[in-house]
Amino acid sequence: MSRPPTSARPRLVRSLLRLFTVQGSWNYERMQGIGIGVAEEPLLRDLRGEGRDDGVAYRAAVARGAHFFNAHPYLCGLAVGAAARAEHEDVPPDQIERLRTALCGPLGSLGDRLVWAGWLPFTSGLALIAVALGLGWSATLAFVVVYNVGHVALRWWALRAGWTYGAQVAQALREPLLQRATALSGPAMALVVGAALPLVAQYLSSALFGWTRLALAAVVAGGFALVWWQRARLTGVRLGLVLLAVAALAGWLWP
Amino acid sequence: MSLELQLLLLAWGTLVGLDLVSVPQAMIARPIVAGPIAGAILGDVGTGLQLGVLFELFQYDILPMGATRYPEYGPATVAAVSAAHAAAGTLGLGLGAFVGLVTGMAGGLSLHALRQLNTRAVRRAAAALEAGDPRVLERLHAASILRDAVRAAVVTTLGLVLAQAARVYLAGTLPPHGVALLTVAAVGAALAAGAAGTLRLVGRGPSLRWFAAGVVGGTVVVWLR
Repeated sequence: MSRPPTSARPRLVRSLLRLFTVQGSWNYERMQGIGIGVAEEPLLRDLRGEGRDDGVAYRAAVARGAHFFNAHPYLCGLAVGAAARAEHEDVPPDQIERLRTALCGPLGSLGDRLVWAGWLPFTSGLALIAVALGLGWSATLAFVVVYNVGHVALRWWALRAGWTYGAQVAQALREPLLQRATALSGPAMALVVGAALPLVAQYLSSALFGWTRLALAAVVAGGFALVWWQRARLTGVRLGLVLLAVAALAGWLWP
Repeated sequence: MSLELQLLLLAWGTLVGLDLVSVPQAMIARPIVAGPIAGAILGDVGTGLQLGVLFELFQYDILPMGATRYPEYGPATVAAVSAAHAAAGTLGLGLGAFVGLVTGMAGGLSLHALRQLNTRAVRRAAAALEAGDPRVLERLHAASILRDAVRAAVVTTLGLVLAQAARVYLAGTLPPHGVALLTVAAVGAALAAGAAGTLRLVGRGPSLRWFAAGVVGGTVVVWLR
């Protein structure tokens, strides 16, 4: 078994920077595969220098790194680090391929719950509340800073954990902090976005008076029912365009 | 609106469009960020914030997972703010929502087209990729990002042209009650989509109680203000 490089930090940093572009070449064939290969490449470079096979191991590892992969973009680093470490530890190629395949589902599901259905709507909901309460422009700035503290920390943790655990990377997913964060993110998001909705309704309808407020309540109730029960056919954007078209027509026809 | 301002909006819309999927996913593509900054470019942060909040609600209707197709609200919000800026008052919201929703749909279609182009490029480079050529890999990746930047610029341009057309041909044609109806439709659709999208995320589990508590808490704050 060959040893991993002793000073991995600069390469991990380079890999992390590339991970910020991981979805740049997203396609229907390999999905994130190309981006994953690009991010993994700096961690594979010392396979060239080990003088054992004229770079054959390096090229084979680069080719494997660019195969099909799809998971949550912020957690891709876990697969990148783990696969690169496994390449250094001479884990058989088919086992590395299996490791990558096995990570797609859990990393996708974890990231969706933790970020897309947790951290992102939670921080965005806080920003909506802040804007509705009159904090204005600083709410936007705070959202970008707070959201990205979590975002960058998660990407860095994922890459480090993958590199540390290698083929045993499943252990990283059982870390108590991660488990707690995943359990908390759903209720926290629900509470914050729930609180944001009435405040935002008041903020957006501040210019409306009299009958228009009643009409708004009816449109929200009817629109919600339609989007909820016809979710396969009626998306928010379609509802919006239909309602705007009806409103424009009614406005022109109204004497 | 001056050419300089239009170019600044175009640059901002391109950055925002690039952020959504490609680089760096720092959420400047969220309407709550894209809107106020577009507003600041035009010297009208208030309109930017209003449309940012409106499209942020529409954004809750989307879960950007894997190969799902969804509207792109970042450049759409920039175009919406541009449309609303000149049409002051409540008309701005309705006009901006119309321009933004159309641009958002176009953005979604363009993302699908981009992914197809990327797929073709990957197929063409398959032999070199299987040989583990790192230079081909990096070039392919960089070209895809460049393609996304061009896509984002085209979508933003389309939105800004639509905004200009809406300002010229639609603003001023509606009577006051028509303007109010347009605002009701825009805000109503956004709130309905935002609430339904959030409830879908929350599901029927224990988080539903937290959501209900949040709604009650928010309503109390509204009542007290």
